[in-house]
Amino acid sequence: MPVPPAELTAEFAMETSPEGEKSPREQIEAGREAAGASGLAQETGPESTALAGSRAEVLEALPQVIEAALDAGARGVKVRIEVPTEARQQT
Amino acid sequence: MSEAQTTREAPPASTPGHVGESVVRPDGIPKVTGEFIYSSDLWAEGMLWGATLRSPHPRANIWSIDTSTAESMPGVHAVLTHEDVPGRKMYGLEVPDQPVLAWEDVRYQGEAVALVAADHPETARRAVEKIAVDYDVLEPLTDSEEAMSECAPKIHPSGNLLRHVRIRHGDIETAKADVVVEGEYEIGMQDQAFLGPESGLAVPDGRGGVDLYISTQWLHVDRDQLAASLDLTPEQVRLTLSGVGGAFGAREDLSMQVHACLLALHTGRPVKMIYGREESFFGHVHRHPAKMRYEHGATKEGELVYVKARLVLDGGAYASSSTAVCSNAACFACGPYEVPNALIDSYVVYTNNPPCGAMRGFGAVQACFAYESQMDKVADALGMDPVELRTKNAFETGSEIPTGQKVTGPVPVAELLERVTDMPMPEEESPMGRDLRELPGGVSNVTHGEGVKRGVGYAVGFKNIAYSEGFDDYSTARVRLSISAEGPLVEVHTAAAEVGQGLVTVQAQIARTELGVEQVVVLPADTSVGSSGSSSASRQTWMTGGAVKAVCEAVRQSVLGKVREDIEDTPGDLRLEGGNVVSRDGGILIGLDELLGDESIEETREFRHKETEPLDADGQGDAHVTFAFAAHRAVVEADTELGLVRVVEIATAQDVGKALNPQAVEGQIEGGIAQGLGLALMEEIQTEEGKVHNASFTDYLIPTILDMPPVKAEVLELGDPDSPYGLKGVGEPPTISSTPAIVSALRDATEQELSRVPVSPDQIVGIAKKPPERPPQPGSRSPEYPTTTTIQPEE
Repeated sequence: MPVPPAELTAEFAMETSPEGEKSPREQIEAGREAAGASGLAQETGPESTALAGSRAEVLEALPQVIEAALDAGARGVKVRIEVPTEARQQT
Repeated sequence: MSEAQTTREAPPASTPGHVGESVVRPDGIPKVTGEFIYSSDLWAEGMLWGATLRSPHPRANIWSIDTSTAESMPGVHAVLTHEDVPGRKMYGLEVPDQPVLAWEDVRYQGEAVALVAADHPETARRAVEKIAVDYDVLEPLTDSEEAMSECAPKIHPSGNLLRHVRIRHGDIETAKADVVVEGEYEIGMQDQAFLGPESGLAVPDGRGGVDLYISTQWLHVDRDQLAASLDLTPEQVRLTLSGVGGAFGAREDLSMQVHACLLALHTGRPVKMIYGREESFFGHVHRHPAKMRYEHGATKEGELVYVKARLVLDGGAYASSSTAVCSNAACFACGPYEVPNALIDSYVVYTNNPPCGAMRGFGAVQACFAYESQMDKVADALGMDPVELRTKNAFETGSEIPTGQKVTGPVPVAELLERVTDMPMPEEESPMGRDLRELPGGVSNVTHGEGVKRGVGYAVGFKNIAYSEGFDDYSTARVRLSISAEGPLVEVHTAAAEVGQGLVTVQAQIARTELGVEQVVVLPADTSVGSSGSSSASRQTWMTGGAVKAVCEAVRQSVLGKVREDIEDTPGDLRLEGGNVVSRDGGILIGLDELLGDESIEETREFRHKETEPLDADGQGDAHVTFAFAAHRAVVEADTELGLVRVVEIATAQDVGKALNPQAVEGQIEGGIAQGLGLALMEEIQTEEGKVHNASFTDYLIPTILDMPPVKAEVLELGDPDSPYGLKGVGEPPTISSTPAIVSALRDATEQELSRVPVSPDQIVGIAKKPPERPPQPGSRSPEYPTTTTIQPEE
């Protein structure tokens, strides 16, 4: 059974700073929380999260995630934006 | 690389038989005699054994994983954690939200955390015990209503609400009813309880790729998820279907597939993994438990005016196919009845309970129990016969489901009800002094007839066939016609999973019928041919049967084209029959052996059903291909003092469109009823705070031959206008309405409300505790949904 395929995915990995005001874990969590607030977040790994949804939704939510991570003291955010080539297969 | 012992050997030509004839299944007798080769029986030289470390906690943070002791054990070849997953660390059918191996959080009891490969299964098991995981145990979130609360902890980053399907049909505000009936219903977590636990053999190919011999329902969707997590191309991951011991939805998701492949690629050795029965309960998804609140309004003449329904499905820790189950529950929430106004909200949420997903009936089962219970209540409130009420409101061709989709083709709801009503009732002898085996409790000798009461109940159910909501649903088939030493030979090759439903037999019947060749071989299913989709949604005979029919037609056209090329002045109307090309008058024009000689004809075709569309924001749209219907009448006897039950008989009528293999259809009907009986009376995974209490067939009860009553079945072949041969899916409808029919009969016998399945003895004798009243949680009630009982006075 289908779920409409995501038009766009943005996977981001936080580059944490050990010298930041907040701990590396909190820096990651800050980005994750901002992603979660968008309703588009999918966990993809220990240090990474993805936004998946329509192009407009993903592009609107992305700056907020980056901002949240930077505000929490992250050194940077690696972002990989991808247009899925085919619909995810569903049952 | 050593050669694996697999089921790759070409099977013998199948039992002769054409479409419409009863054909013996090739796997039937070997399964009964214990000679069938399951995927758990596979073996390869130099093979290692894989084992999985699972979380004992339903919700916890992982602080550390120490594998050093396990790695140092003699005989251990690999210990892997999430750090060893080279590609995508998540998988999932609809949403890739489930870790291949957990890293930071565990979200249900039994979640996979680490893997071991060892030279002996016992060594692997002991090594698993030596992996030290430091957990910070958290309080699990296990109540689906609570999970919808704003203040509930988020199990996944975007929250706990996985999908809300909202259907608004007609004008609920102005709908006026003479009688209003409300009810709350609950369904427990049912297990598919298949015969063969999860198992498979992964064999590295020495070039970076892997071959996996596996029990599954959909080879290609497994392959694509495996390739992503193994960081390989799909071509480097090849799957071959091995002996499957049943599925019923439980093999749609990955279980040990990716784990076995990881271990095999890491060690460079074949790795076999087998779950025992206990591990199997943690290794696959289950049927969604549901809480459903209904309100039906009807005129005093018994015409349904409106239905309001709120369904909350517990998806457990990961998405699996929950979003589609949620949609089905919504689409079929009103049953096969004319309902001009409907307000339906179906939710599926994440909790820390075991993950739930596909199971026979897929959302329609939950809704059917509720709406059929409501139909009995409405009939009771009106003083009307429950069958008459159902018949009065029954769908006909052109009726609309609440999504606005018109039901096309034959829609024999009233006829099915009439047929089950007209079947003779089983004789009713006095229970006093009967043979114990014919009394509730049987030879446990708990009653000699005292307190035993008989009841009769009816139910109708329906469900979509094949995939819905705009999914590009197709199946691929390849057929080769050649001449062997024994004469013309047809080889059929698909990736469709024979999971015990008899698909192999049907493919051969279709090829035999279409090509007029008796010698047909169905080759092992694998990923070297295009996808056939899943053996689920009652779709495989339609879809892969359709693909085989289409490709056989293409082969036949090629044969006839060759005839016209080779033979001058051929008549126009030719067919293939008995291994020959035959003219209209039955005269043999040429034998296939003479025509083809050393040549062969091979064709490949994809088959698609008609397009469907997604539901819009109001839940409107032609989301489904077609629908299948069945009706059941149950006769039960209950010991009203002890709460024990004997189902005396089930009568059923079902429209199957066309019975390609009548014996297999009968098997599906009886098997589906057994599973429906199990849900009605005994089957439930018991959980407490997210922990499973009964992960064994000692404690998880399934019906045995002693529980299964005689079944009277009438099979209608009304012919679907859009399907190959007019067939319809058969597998799911028997499961859907058998459960409410049995419960309805129990209500008739006991006069108890029985709003939860499986029905427990304390419900039957009237001493069951009612669920605790709880105030609505913030955000958990639709503002449009009334929370008070409003029985309208008759005007």
